[in-house]
Amino acid sequence: MANICLQATGGGAYKFADLFKEKLSVSLDKEDEMECLVTGANFLLKAVHQEAFTYLDGQKEFAQIDPNDLYPYLLVNIGSGVSMIKVDGDGKFERVSGTSLGGGTFWGLGRLLTKCKNFDELLELSHQGNNRVIDMLVGDIYGGTDYAKIGLSATTIASSFGKAISDNKELVDYKPEDISRSLLRMISNNIGQISYLNALRFGLKRIFFAGFFIRGHAYTMDTISVAVNFWSKGEAEAMFLRHEGFLGALGAFMSYEKQCPDGLTVNKVPQRFPISVSSAGNKIYCSMNGKSNGNESIECTVYGT
Amino acid sequence: MAGLNGDPFLGIDDNIEKLQYNNNSKEGIDKEGLVVGIGEDSSNNKNNNQGGEKDMAGNSIHRSGSRPQLDLSKAEIQGNSEERDPTILLPNQTDDISHLALDIGGSLIKLVYFSRREDQSVDDKRKKTVKERLGISNGNRRNFPVLGGRLHFVKFETSKLNECLDFISSKQLHRGGIDSHHWNSEAPANENAVIKATGGGAYKFADLFKERLGVSIDKEDEMDCLVAGANFLLKAIRHEAFTHMEGHKEFVQIDHNDLFPYLLVNIGSGVSIIKVDGDGKFQRVSGTNVGGGTYWGLGRLLTKCNSFDELLELSQRGDNRTIDMLVGDIYGGMDYSKIGLSASTIASSFGKAISDKKELQDYRPEDISLSLLRMISYNIGQISYLNALRFGLKRIFFGGFFIRGHAYTMDTISFAVHFWSKGEAQAMFLRHEGFLGAVGAFMSYQKHGLDDLMVHHLVERFPMGAPYTGGKIHGPPLGDLNEKASIMEFCLTNMRQFMLYSISWMEKFVLKGTEITAPVPMAPPGTTGLGGFEVPSSRGATLRSDASALNVGVLHLVPTLEVFPLLADPKMYVI
Repeated sequence: MANICLQATGGGAYKFADLFKEKLSVSLDKEDEMECLVTGANFLLKAVHQEAFTYLDGQKEFAQIDPNDLYPYLLVNIGSGVSMIKVDGDGKFERVSGTSLGGGTFWGLGRLLTKCKNFDELLELSHQGNNRVIDMLVGDIYGGTDYAKIGLSATTIASSFGKAISDNKELVDYKPEDISRSLLRMISNNIGQISYLNALRFGLKRIFFAGFFIRGHAYTMDTISVAVNFWSKGEAEAMFLRHEGFLGALGAFMSYEKQCPDGLTVNKVPQRFPISVSSAGNKIYCSMNGKSNGNESIECTVYGT
Repeated sequence: MAGLNGDPFLGIDDNIEKLQYNNNSKEGIDKEGLVVGIGEDSSNNKNNNQGGEKDMAGNSIHRSGSRPQLDLSKAEIQGNSEERDPTILLPNQTDDISHLALDIGGSLIKLVYFSRREDQSVDDKRKKTVKERLGISNGNRRNFPVLGGRLHFVKFETSKLNECLDFISSKQLHRGGIDSHHWNSEAPANENAVIKATGGGAYKFADLFKERLGVSIDKEDEMDCLVAGANFLLKAIRHEAFTHMEGHKEFVQIDHNDLFPYLLVNIGSGVSIIKVDGDGKFQRVSGTNVGGGTYWGLGRLLTKCNSFDELLELSQRGDNRTIDMLVGDIYGGMDYSKIGLSASTIASSFGKAISDKKELQDYRPEDISLSLLRMISYNIGQISYLNALRFGLKRIFFGGFFIRGHAYTMDTISFAVHFWSKGEAQAMFLRHEGFLGAVGAFMSYQKHGLDDLMVHHLVERFPMGAPYTGGKIHGPPLGDLNEKASIMEFCLTNMRQFMLYSISWMEKFVLKGTEITAPVPMAPPGTTGLGGFEVPSSRGATLRSDASALNVGVLHLVPTLEVFPLLADPKMYVI
């Protein structure tokens, strides 16, 4: 039996290599995570028509990306943890920063505090939450007024979970919706802030947010956008990708071209859209009606030798 | 008992002037013949000095011109090695200055107050009970009239504002203190009494203060006060700033001409990040809402701790690897060396808690507390560094009560700054961390006369047990952490000789081994500090694993050589 080789990236490509061998008789060809993220992002941004969009005040707006004006940009991948990568060109990038307060933090803390069974449930809860119950706002410290002198309105969060220090209430006395919302806000704000500080550092105006933390959740995107807008005083722009969580996998997929014992090659997808489908290999369908849903697919061509 | 000047433990500089202490006198007289209000023998403790100068002279002594001047010259720290609210002696303070300044934050109220002299014996019992009940310690209770006084530092939880009001009321701080010559129990409250306060609570609780204490609050800007307080402490106190990395603490010599600019990061309930360019020249450039309140709030929800300190305590026995997802967990035990992440780097805080095999109660509160602490400390370190980088600042001073001398917290923040800056930037901590705002507010009483302020180097006084050579602090803490022992008490009650310290420091305080042989008067715990004579058992006192032997002493102002005006009429003094 021919030895099947699969491209894989992420930590599990190392951690579970043996398991794949054992269960599926496949060897995992390990690709560097950062490289795959960047390859995937570059591909999507150049090849897919309406991939990137901004989200502000509840308004989604697709961004026209000029392929000649794509670089440099900051790619912020929010997975369990967060990686921030400065992308200068195809294959030209540097991971400049990251933070351990990511999707895993939201999910982990959320699970401990609310007993939610999964990430989506936690996100769902946050819709009905009111963070003022738990967060200490500037107004709470200043008796209802703004701290105008330093540009903080009364509703700005001064301290996330700051009200929970009160010994009048226990964990059970707080609504899980409020907890979830505060958590979401805290993590999103923080990521937005650190992302902006890094974009500023390198003079980057565009920040693309990827990873499955966001999963098209309006409030999350709004919070991140507001944070970037606030800290940058409108200079920088937060953008989101429709295939947010699949950057790494796409990048790994693209890397088949580089090496494969079977000689299977994948041509880079032509830049026009939609692309015609060939019968040589895999066919994936795409619905480009502007609504983003989890089952989007991209038409492309895969040539086998 | 050997005189202080000869005491080998103190290793006092030869230059130190000695204060001749007359046998029966209540005051020490320095070599210039100045009367320095030091205090009295314990045998003479039962005295009837009421109201300071007034009693001595029978009439009030008010030497200042039109406006009371704050004289911080020769301020020095005094206090127990473990004392967290070290008092500051201001021996040159002659005018009756306002006594109280507050920083009322989201979670804590920080109070700085000035007492000209110690509380009186007449009302001792009553006040002692009040204080015992409130669990507030008050340093020594010796009387020393006339010149000088002390700055005390106390904190309360904002949620327990009433305790704070009780405290102020019991010591009559809003009326200038019970020792002030203004104070007279029969006199009606001064309707126009004004106290300085900063922080949000200055606005939020202004009415309450008016109602309960009859005082108006003069609101000072929080950022102004933080910066003023930080600048003052960094310039005036020799060993205020220190670095703390990998368990190793080292004091930093701050060159006054090279202080600015720097980044001040105040970690309270929330975090403010301020770029300081000079006295009164600053800009709040950033902040974050993931601060001390987050740690306390999340910690409380997750562990049911009853206090911040309890939560911190728990973290000392924690292991975050059960809760945090490390790079090694994702990468099967390996480093991700290509991007410089070792296997033990935290990839995702609380990332392991997503597992549905365990519930909240299956996790140890110690582990939770440590994960939280690390998460928040790293985050603050990172954001602080990114801002320092932005403005080309190499020094980052961390203030606020989140740290409270906790070694692990400081190490974590230092590590984060070091990691992200690749060694370029340095994290530094302040001993009076949480009191920056209150000190700044206190100083704002003299805002107009700020130029006249003579801020000499502050002399720090430590009782035995705080060896302090060459800027490094060694040695175990002195006895019980809550005991307040001041060198003043030590001198007063033990010595006939009294040392007057000029600008040379007490840094030559040396502890021989771990043994202290000179008894140091200590306030029995929980009382107001009516000195007893316990021999501090430094031997065997184990250093808490997180205690970085932070010695924060009381700030003393050493008396100057200026002629003490009272001497103009010597017969007014009881010698």
